[in-house]
Amino acid sequence: MKKKSTTVILTIIGILVAAYTLYPFALVLLNSAKKSTDIVSNPVSFVGTSWSQFTENISKVVNNNNFSFWSAFGTSAVITIVSLVLLALFGGMAAWVICRNKTKWSTAIYMTFIASMIIPFQVVMLALIATFREVGNFVGIKMLQSIPGIVFAYCGFGGAMTVFILTGFIKGIPYELEEAAAIDGCSPEGTFFRIIFPLLKPVLTTVTILNGMWIWNDYLLPSLMLGQNGPVKTLPVAVQAFVGSYVKQWDLILTAALLAILPMIILFIIAQKQIMNGMVEGAIK
Amino acid sequence: MNNNTAGKKMLSIVLLIAGIIALGAAIVLDIQGSKFAFRGALLIIGAIVILIGMYEFPTIEHHRSIINFIFLFPLLFTFAITVIVPMILGIFYSFTDWNGVKMNNFVGLKNYQTMFKDPAFLWSLLLTVLFVIVNMILVNVIGFLLALLCTNKFKGVGFFRAAYFLPNLIGGIVLGYIWQFIFSNVLIKMFHLKFSPLADTRQAFIAIIVVYIWQYAGYIMLIYITGLTTIPKDVLEAASIDGANATTTLFKIKIPMIAATITICTFLTLTSAFKQFDVNMALTNGAGAMKFMGRTISNGTQMLALNIYNTAISQNNYALGQAKAVLFFIILATVSIIQVRISNSKEVEM
Amino acid sequence: MRRALATATVAGLFAALSMGAMSVSADEIRLFNNKVEINEGLNTLAAKYEEETGVKVTIESIGGGVDAQATLKGYYQGGNMPDIFVFEGDKDYPTWEGLMADLSDMAWVEDTEAEYTVDGAVYGFPTTTEAIGLAYNKAVLDAAGIDPASITGPESMRAAFETLNEKKDELGLTAVIGYGAEATALYWSTGQHLYASYIDSGLSRDDTTYIDMMQAEGGPTFDDERLLAWAEMVALFNEYSDPDLLVSGTYDQQVLNFAAGKYAFVTQGSWIGATITGDDAEAYNEAGNFEIGMLPYAFIEGQDTILTNSPNWWGVYKDSENLDAAKAFLEWCASNDGGQQILVEDCGLISPYASCTYVAVDPYAQTISDYTAAGKTSAWHWLSMKEGLGQNATAVIFQEFAKGSYADAAEFAEELKSAIVSYYAN
Repeated sequence: MKKKSTTVILTIIGILVAAYTLYPFALVLLNSAKKSTDIVSNPVSFVGTSWSQFTENISKVVNNNNFSFWSAFGTSAVITIVSLVLLALFGGMAAWVICRNKTKWSTAIYMTFIASMIIPFQVVMLALIATFREVGNFVGIKMLQSIPGIVFAYCGFGGAMTVFILTGFIKGIPYELEEAAAIDGCSPEGTFFRIIFPLLKPVLTTVTILNGMWIWNDYLLPSLMLGQNGPVKTLPVAVQAFVGSYVKQWDLILTAALLAILPMIILFIIAQKQIMNGMVEGAIK
Repeated sequence: MNNNTAGKKMLSIVLLIAGIIALGAAIVLDIQGSKFAFRGALLIIGAIVILIGMYEFPTIEHHRSIINFIFLFPLLFTFAITVIVPMILGIFYSFTDWNGVKMNNFVGLKNYQTMFKDPAFLWSLLLTVLFVIVNMILVNVIGFLLALLCTNKFKGVGFFRAAYFLPNLIGGIVLGYIWQFIFSNVLIKMFHLKFSPLADTRQAFIAIIVVYIWQYAGYIMLIYITGLTTIPKDVLEAASIDGANATTTLFKIKIPMIAATITICTFLTLTSAFKQFDVNMALTNGAGAMKFMGRTISNGTQMLALNIYNTAISQNNYALGQAKAVLFFIILATVSIIQVRISNSKEVEM
Repeated sequence: MRRALATATVAGLFAALSMGAMSVSADEIRLFNNKVEINEGLNTLAAKYEEETGVKVTIESIGGGVDAQATLKGYYQGGNMPDIFVFEGDKDYPTWEGLMADLSDMAWVEDTEAEYTVDGAVYGFPTTTEAIGLAYNKAVLDAAGIDPASITGPESMRAAFETLNEKKDELGLTAVIGYGAEATALYWSTGQHLYASYIDSGLSRDDTTYIDMMQAEGGPTFDDERLLAWAEMVALFNEYSDPDLLVSGTYDQQVLNFAAGKYAFVTQGSWIGATITGDDAEAYNEAGNFEIGMLPYAFIEGQDTILTNSPNWWGVYKDSENLDAAKAFLEWCASNDGGQQILVEDCGLISPYASCTYVAVDPYAQTISDYTAAGKTSAWHWLSMKEGLGQNATAVIFQEFAKGSYADAAEFAEELKSAIVSYYAN
């Protein structure tokens, strides 16, 4: 009997907290289906909501020249995916070399990576832009306001954490596997790509989730490297620029917010377990 | 076999030479200040051809070293250009009058002196410390309580976990605007306020804390859940056989057994609260009037990361912003070193 | 296999980086504009220019809460500098010093007095004239029996406000004045434009007394008597403003309500003309398309000038590959047969060029030309204030005052001084 009442109380608390965490999402959805005037006068009621208004708001936002949703979405997707693939590949390669070579050099490189993890972005961001400008001008490759440039930067910034997590994992892979492969005449790079890399799958999932969440949601780096409203912009930068130019048109702002968070929520519904596990493992490591 | 090796050697040397020529030509063009658009591609192709040439070089004893180099190169190169070089340059610029585009003079410690004489900056520093302490406590307590809730067995617990974690998925800029809407439009209407809580320095600061907890508590909860589930079942069973009630179990067994998790979460909240930027920018952009050190300052809700950004970008004072960033780095580095010390000493005890 | 692997390893890097090697360099002019409101008009202008000359002009408009100069700086650093870009006078000049082309020998310079000049060299092309003053709804004032010309100082202004307040209901007003002191999105309205009246109101165009005091070597100083009189005017606005707008309102709300005839006065200058006849045309039409006039911010008896200036200029990037094309475009824009018609009629700009024969449909056009003809204008010396002053220092003080945090105008003035001194200290 006592057990049942506890369960009821727990459930009630659970629902109340969930209501608090989900309420903002509900408000965004609710108000994306309203006219600006209805939002201002009745932000919490269903008054003025309609499917046609919802589709109208969405088409207004998507077709807005200042927001250019699809291009921003595409840019964000390309930057995130290419960075993630490169980070997983380069990170795996570097971590494996660091792990399997007990030389002074590899230890020094590893320690540099670890130490760099405490560097806050603020201390490098201003000089980063200057460096990219100078390097870009010097060698004739566009490093700022270009997708390759920002992918390059994400590889640089994400490298340390990726290597850190991956080395921890590779240490646990028995070295005998590689020795056996070497005896069978397998080259070192073959050993890595055919034996080690496939074994990294679970930890690469973790790394990819951690890096993915960071890169997809990041505002500061793209706003500095791509410009606050440049020709190339990611979704967070586009939202910021859009809100800036439409001072307080909440119908459009909330619809834009909805469109910006939707991909993340869909992904979360599909891969809930992996995302939650990945986030925890990243923190504990 | 022999023939094959000779062929490979030939190929390798040809590739190496071609690569070096391409790379060299590109660099010569760069130094001459050529506007030839293909010089960038030439440089990249040159570098890649050199790498392939190295890879094809027929050697048994050095092959492993060559592979090591090729494998390390991409990440180390990007890392050096994006982190190491700007870090060194950044520290250097903090001693100059750099304006983001050019620098004229070396000014020594002037930027550092300026920043410690500026009440607005000192306030940002103080506010950040306050924010970090408040959040470290609140987020951990709330996260832990939610974890206790979600480690019970009852219907819907999986949904609750996901629901509490969900806010953590959303980027700070977007959620900042969503909450600006809630504070400035919804709360005003619901409670018939005279003006938005965001227009009041104190209330706006509380608002930032509320949003931060909303975003972060679910994440911390997940880590605590992992910690709590690692406590061996038999320990808890033994305790309940000994007649320990829920409170005693909590304080005498659960909390001591997840000490390592508590350390992780504490430092995680500490560093992340310290770096708070997106929400701060989207919610108040640091505005808020108040009296501090006998002066009237206008950045009542502006935390350190935003102060650095605004100093450099909006006030166009790059060198001063850079000096502030160096201080920011020193503080964070100190905190991290303390964390490592604490974690290590814990491990020794266990 | 080995070769395939090697190729795969480098392919990603190569693909990613080689895209960057191809820099875009077409034969066209890029123009960077910071007024989203006139974006469409500028595109019309660009289309016409392309039709006439075959040279493509790309318009890039950013504005609102986005920091245009920061974006521009980012462009410069990215090697992506537009050929023609907007800058706001003395405040921005130091950033672009040495990077702007000298335009002194161009023909349009002879046709205007509003060009931006440093040490005798012309760097800025003026596009419009803007006016800061207290805008009013003539129909409402007439209905209340108030002659705008009778408002010449603080007493008469207060008297007019009181009269209007008494007749608020019969005039259909929500409030006497639409004054918004929200600090994060409207900082420019209070911290820059309203404060500008302290700096410039009532002065002759070349009088720099109060801006010089603020920019003084040892830190800003103030004329306390003048500042207090000005603060009293702000207090009056607080008292009679729409409470929904005052502390956390928005620009859209402020302009829309004025256009709809709900305020007799509004603390926004001539730039709202385009919004009133554009986005808010429906409401303005319903309110009877009333005549709009502008009064001086007369916080001291006898101040009879409104503040007019070119709010910004177009500069030409010196190292642009299209330098000559950009200059030719400017020449065309300034000429009566060229761009002036579109700039005036489509963008609603008030031409600073003597030869221009077009008159904007803007409700403010007449007022500005009347004041200009009568010689009753002051300049915008506030443009030289330290960068970011309004946004980072003074706007929140206006907001606090609006919230009622200060006992009186004197305390407001003291707080404002303190905030400015702090801001200038570093």
